[in-house]
Amino acid sequence: MSSVLVPEIPAPGFSFDLCQRNNFLSKKGFQVPKAIKTGTTIAGIVYKDGVILGADTRATEDTIVADKNCRKIHYLAQNMYVCGAGTAADTDMTSQMIASQLELHRLNTGRIVPVCTANAMLKQLLFRHQGHIGAALVLGGVDLDGPHLHCIFPHGSSDTQQYTTMGSGSLAAMAVFESRWKPGLSEEEGKELVADAIRAGVFNDLASGSNVDLCIIRKGSVEYIRPYDVANVKGVKQSSYRYKRGTTAVLAQTIRPIIIEKETICKVDTESMDTSS
Amino acid sequence: MATERYSFSLTTFSPSGKLVQIEYALAAVAAGAPSVGIKASNGVVLATENKHKSILYEEHSVNKVEMITKHIGMIYSGMGPDYRLLVKQARKMAQQYLLVYQEPIPTAQLVQRVAMLMQEYTQSGGVRPFGVSLLICGWDNDKPYLYQCDPSGAYFAWKATAMGKNFNNGKTFLEKRYSEDLELDDAIHTAILTLKEGFEGQMTADNIEVGICDANGFRRLDPSNVKDYLANIP
Amino acid sequence: MSILAYNGGAIIAMKGKNCVAIAADRRFGIQGQTISCDFQKIFEMGPHLYLGLPGLSTDTQTVMERLRFRLNLYELKENRRIHPKTFSSMISNLLYEKRFGPYFVEPVVAGLDPVTFEPYICNMDLLGCLNVPVDFVVGGTCSEQLYGMCEALYEADLEPNDLFETISQALVNACDRDAMSGWGAIVHVIEKDKVTTRTVKTRMD
Repeated sequence: MSSVLVPEIPAPGFSFDLCQRNNFLSKKGFQVPKAIKTGTTIAGIVYKDGVILGADTRATEDTIVADKNCRKIHYLAQNMYVCGAGTAADTDMTSQMIASQLELHRLNTGRIVPVCTANAMLKQLLFRHQGHIGAALVLGGVDLDGPHLHCIFPHGSSDTQQYTTMGSGSLAAMAVFESRWKPGLSEEEGKELVADAIRAGVFNDLASGSNVDLCIIRKGSVEYIRPYDVANVKGVKQSSYRYKRGTTAVLAQTIRPIIIEKETICKVDTESMDTSS
Repeated sequence: MATERYSFSLTTFSPSGKLVQIEYALAAVAAGAPSVGIKASNGVVLATENKHKSILYEEHSVNKVEMITKHIGMIYSGMGPDYRLLVKQARKMAQQYLLVYQEPIPTAQLVQRVAMLMQEYTQSGGVRPFGVSLLICGWDNDKPYLYQCDPSGAYFAWKATAMGKNFNNGKTFLEKRYSEDLELDDAIHTAILTLKEGFEGQMTADNIEVGICDANGFRRLDPSNVKDYLANIP
Repeated sequence: MSILAYNGGAIIAMKGKNCVAIAADRRFGIQGQTISCDFQKIFEMGPHLYLGLPGLSTDTQTVMERLRFRLNLYELKENRRIHPKTFSSMISNLLYEKRFGPYFVEPVVAGLDPVTFEPYICNMDLLGCLNVPVDFVVGGTCSEQLYGMCEALYEADLEPNDLFETISQALVNACDRDAMSGWGAIVHVIEKDKVTTRTVKTRMD
């Protein structure tokens, strides 16, 4: 029922306006550029009192490192976080959209949202888009029934597990879990295990790198450690490569001062409600 | 929606230039349970009556004080079902804003959008105006905000106000009691006192509801909390 | 060839001490053929807010106009200046809406917080995935070269004049190794009280 002339909120959902043009261009031999991928090693385990999620922090654009300290553990709700691997924009936006829906669900139902609800919402969204949303997720959280860990694939299938890994470094990380995970790990053991799994990805998988982020979700509290471990410390520059002022040949220069000419604060007097009639 | 094209708005002008449907809606509000909002220096308080017709009623099952986002809350005078639709829409608007801008919605923006929705229901075919007035309180940029939204879509910023049954008495009471440097605790006290004006029967923690909003966000006070405030009232 | 390299162009933004700088080359070409060398790729979106849009030129201009539309509506509705962070989310939202038929641009935002004047830079890919680093961002055809230059030259907390030298040298030398960009450069240094815009001499081949 929004205004006809200027729609208040743009039509929901994706817009496919440019698809025809882009297809035409790709037929002409201009490929569609590569989007940023997270590459990624992400992992999660269930331990004694909850769930620990871990992720590396490298984002890659083909073979270039696009972001050296990228956040891959996303907030979903107070008791739930999700790690994302795959197309970076997809994992970011998917988790934001689901976080928003979970918050509405929480407000409308007035209770802590169960982790399986988030799992269902995520897999339904991904299935609806038939794998075109490239998000591989590790969802972890604690609700009334205790800790839960799910891994969700881009086509919309999901697994419920005690320990799981995803992304290009998942094999390296899983090797660590398969050899060392056991039920009822303590928090310290759990943190070290997840960090080791992520480190295995960082050092053995080219698309994973930089730091280790951890997120520990217990009943009633969350600890987000970023970074938990700086696996690769950057060296300090031996000397300064600074150019002397005036090195660059300037052809023209304009300086535009930003002047605040007038600042008016306009206080609106509140008129009383007209209920006279 | 072929039929919608032929259905006209129920809210039409009377020959004297009035929109009587809106006036009737305001009458529905004025007949509804009283509610009060007061802005203090360090927060805002909303309070309303939540009386039950029968002792068999399960108390605290349906709330009148509702949270919209972490930093915005809402109460109403008038018709409950209409209110719940507005709450749901307001929550959606807040989330929509957050998704686009990654920034919590400013209270003024939310009020504007809710008011726009209410206005649409005065001008659209096949619908009637909402039978509620809302009090929306919020906290952004270290400042408290208090707004009232009417069925017509008009909205007002208040320092303190009352709506619903006997709202005129409530407002007169507030005009006497209000001061700029009120603290939140005093404001809660004053809000309860205002409700007490013209309250029929015994006021208990089970038949009023209080919500507060400050730097920590919005929350509904527990009945036990409300009880403590009531204990200080003669 | 990637469609992002059809028109060519490179953009870079850096954080300094209480200032930010954003720079771009000025070439507009169609594949190998240069059409003009005063093409605008950086747009002023507010007194302290600049937006660079490297990529396919038609999309550069369309995206800029769509963003200006949304920005103007935002600033009128809210009666305040937009925060660069909020603006970036707005761009990200606009781009992700076209997830399955994207605009071929890789936006770069540089600005100061309208209230605290805190420097802010970010860039995103063509789907709108935000990247908010502490040092510098690059975009366009010679991003490999730019990354290399920046990693070598960048220092934290540079004064406006030193920041200008660093960003200009990074851009100019990177463009020298890229056939698709160059032909003049423009550099904006944004400070609390002024914006200095310089056009820089480069190779014209």
